[in-house]
Amino acid sequence: MKPLWYNSSTALKLNQFSLNIADFSIKLYSESEIDLEEGYLSFLSNTQNHDTTIECFSDINSPIFENKNLVFEAANEIQKFYSIYKFKTDLGFVIYNQQNINEVQQTAILSKNFKHWQIFAKPDEKGNLNPLRYPMGPIIMQYLTVKSEAVMIHASCVFDGEKGRIFTGFSGTGKSTISQIWSEAGNQVINDDRLIIRKTDTGYFVYNTPMYYRDSPKKAPLNSIFLISHYPENKIKKLTGAIAVSKVLAFCIQNNFDRFFIQNNLDFLTALSTQIAVYELGFVPNSSVVDYVLSNETV
Amino acid sequence: MEIQSLYKLKTKFVAREVGNELIIVPLSGNVAQMNALFTLNETGKFIWDNATDNNSIEDIVMLMTDTFDIDSQTAKKDIDTFLQKLETTLV
Repeated sequence: MKPLWYNSSTALKLNQFSLNIADFSIKLYSESEIDLEEGYLSFLSNTQNHDTTIECFSDINSPIFENKNLVFEAANEIQKFYSIYKFKTDLGFVIYNQQNINEVQQTAILSKNFKHWQIFAKPDEKGNLNPLRYPMGPIIMQYLTVKSEAVMIHASCVFDGEKGRIFTGFSGTGKSTISQIWSEAGNQVINDDRLIIRKTDTGYFVYNTPMYYRDSPKKAPLNSIFLISHYPENKIKKLTGAIAVSKVLAFCIQNNFDRFFIQNNLDFLTALSTQIAVYELGFVPNSSVVDYVLSNETV
Repeated sequence: MEIQSLYKLKTKFVAREVGNELIIVPLSGNVAQMNALFTLNETGKFIWDNATDNNSIEDIVMLMTDTFDIDSQTAKKDIDTFLQKLETTLV
């Protein structure tokens, strides 16, 4: 079982550095040393032009959002992740400690143009400042996509050297299982949990993002998306039009309090679905599904 | 439901036309409703498109019977089902 958070020893301390995640360039800087978790180390880059800058502070001067306009809460019956407030013209984020949801772990302000973050992080018991500590890091990655031709999706992806195949579905439907099966058949696993899909001048590509463990940045061309479920036999059905778009959208990571965010996702996936095949795939969790897909996919 | 309520209800969704169908996604303040999006077929799209502040429910019923091969009772039932689905999505 993967942990929802990562809180072990950090691997690097820097005042300023750049990350390249899904070909988005991010600059982080602070007057204090920033602790960079192991999962981010392979994503360090030397890029000079940045899509987003992140200024990091200790939480002493954290902004107060409580009397502001609450627009979104990422929470369920058992977990509380973060809250979003309208803060002047910007967005204010309150991120909760995943081991103690009554404790605020970070607060953050995202500028109106989504180009600049200020993150106020609570140092841990050893005094380490870790502004990207989960779930802050994935939130930043998600907001890299909302004004771009991109989406973030809960899915696994495998690459056979020519084609990239995404497998998505509800929790427990076998995203990791099916990527493992394809891995055993010689495919590279791009990631088995969280991906970014981007449109580029040469087509649609899938990228991994930093996780709680160390992995190298990976990228694959996207050829097809499979909406998976366990089934007594392997069974495939191609989806098109509104059904294909809406079913893929359901597994994208979304903050749907803003009309623009929804519209951007709908526009992106509508265009994607005209070029990328979308299938429903019921599968038996063994190697037979690989041959079955290769024999029955239409692209 | 009055047409004004339907028209107001529409503002709580974002719509995207895909071919002859429509995807509508509710504006939402939490994660739990993220999967509440749904697609409208040709009839649903017709009701959605004609739910303006200028049209009454009766106007839409009349437009539907003129456009599709259905009687007014069926059209009214389709509209009621449609409205219930929209309202349920926002709960």
